[in-house]
Amino acid sequence: MSSQNIYILGIESSCDDTAASVIYNGKILSNIVASQKIHEEFGGVVPELASRAHQQNIVPVVHQALAKANITKEQLNAIAFTRGPGLMGSLLVGTSFAKSLAYGLNIPLIDVNHIQGHILAHFIDEEGFEKPPFPFLAMTISGGHTQIVRVDNHFDMTVIGETIDDAVGEAYDKSGKILGLGYPAGPEIDKRAQHGNPKAYKFTKPKVDGLNFSFSGLKTAILYFIQREVKANPNFIEENLNNICASIQYTIIGILIDKLKLATKQTNIKHIAIGGGVSANSGIRQALKNGEQKFGWTTYVPKFEFTTDNAAMIAIVGYLKFLDEDFASQDVMASARLKI
Amino acid sequence: MEIVYTLNDLKAVAKQLIENIRSKTLLLYGDMGVGKTTLVKAIVEELGSIDNVSSPSFSIVNEYKTVDYLIYHFDLYRINGIEEAYNFGIEEYLYSNNWSIIEWPDIAKDILPKHFDKIELSINDDNTRTLHINNI
Repeated sequence: MSSQNIYILGIESSCDDTAASVIYNGKILSNIVASQKIHEEFGGVVPELASRAHQQNIVPVVHQALAKANITKEQLNAIAFTRGPGLMGSLLVGTSFAKSLAYGLNIPLIDVNHIQGHILAHFIDEEGFEKPPFPFLAMTISGGHTQIVRVDNHFDMTVIGETIDDAVGEAYDKSGKILGLGYPAGPEIDKRAQHGNPKAYKFTKPKVDGLNFSFSGLKTAILYFIQREVKANPNFIEENLNNICASIQYTIIGILIDKLKLATKQTNIKHIAIGGGVSANSGIRQALKNGEQKFGWTTYVPKFEFTTDNAAMIAIVGYLKFLDEDFASQDVMASARLKI
Repeated sequence: MEIVYTLNDLKAVAKQLIENIRSKTLLLYGDMGVGKTTLVKAIVEELGSIDNVSSPSFSIVNEYKTVDYLIYHFDLYRINGIEEAYNFGIEEYLYSNNWSIIEWPDIAKDILPKHFDKIELSINDDNTRTLHINNI
């Protein structure tokens, strides 16, 4: 077969969202995440935001991805799906669907590791976005992940640091909960932080050896700090919200940048690729830009729609594995605790 | 029974807790910041797993391995109803004969196995923690 005209369908169902994407030779043609919009178009029910049942969504989402890409399923060259890690019940829906579709169309099936997807999203062809050269360091920061991975090749990756308790997105969400902000709280803390003094309050950084992270202690420190201050002044939060947000953000970014500095020093690699939903945080982006000037880093941030849980990142891994002819058999099973 | 402890005693507390529970389903109650996930870390280690215990707040369930069993570590805080819990297959986990350690367990109270252990954590003014175990 020609390596010039490859269409791959990517399916992602590891956690809350059901998503499908069509990639054509490394370029994304469609990237659909289950949302109310799809239900409107297909005239179906609109389930509660957090309780999306993958089984209801997967068929409309895949239809939509094919329609948006303007192809039929018969044009597909392979089906890629998230095998893990994730929730078993959620993974099973995507896995079974992908296996059946590949079997029905008699085309190869490709299993994808969700974490590798976050990292390899940097290899999607997208105008204005450069791909990192090997070797590089990938830092994935999201509600569920906080990791630094050394990437020597597309499929040669080593985790060199990860959180020992809460993920960074969780540190934002739980701080937001303490402050009475909505969920997810990251965007609002980020916005308010820009109008506050980052050094108004000082929170101690956790002492964690090596390249591992810890955010659980910070959450507790913030909780006690707020409880103490509110006891003295019931309006403390309202009167100082921007300063509190700025100080929390300053501490979190400090933790991330300290570890990146250590990682670049230990590995002597200065190309840093960021992924995961928290990479949208403007304070983190600014700190990375400063790192370019101060420490000689080159940093890479993919287009936002490829950083949160999405199927485009599954499709690009599918494409890269397709080129290697690295296919899965029909015996492949979902794996909730899949590692890199 | 009741145990008062500091973070330095965690290993001993986990050992004592495991000696005093009667089931493999542990319900963990306590406010945010009281140290639920930190206690789970010590319990999982004491049960013989070398896996990294991290917060399941986003993932809902983490799995850790011991020689004989899996340990499922839940955080049901984000689950809005029993229907959602069924959607991710909660009863498959709870009735698998593996360990289940559940933070924010209330949503699952109607579908629990017959026997479980209720563990309540609270914080004291001197920053020590109090832990209550109830065998049910």
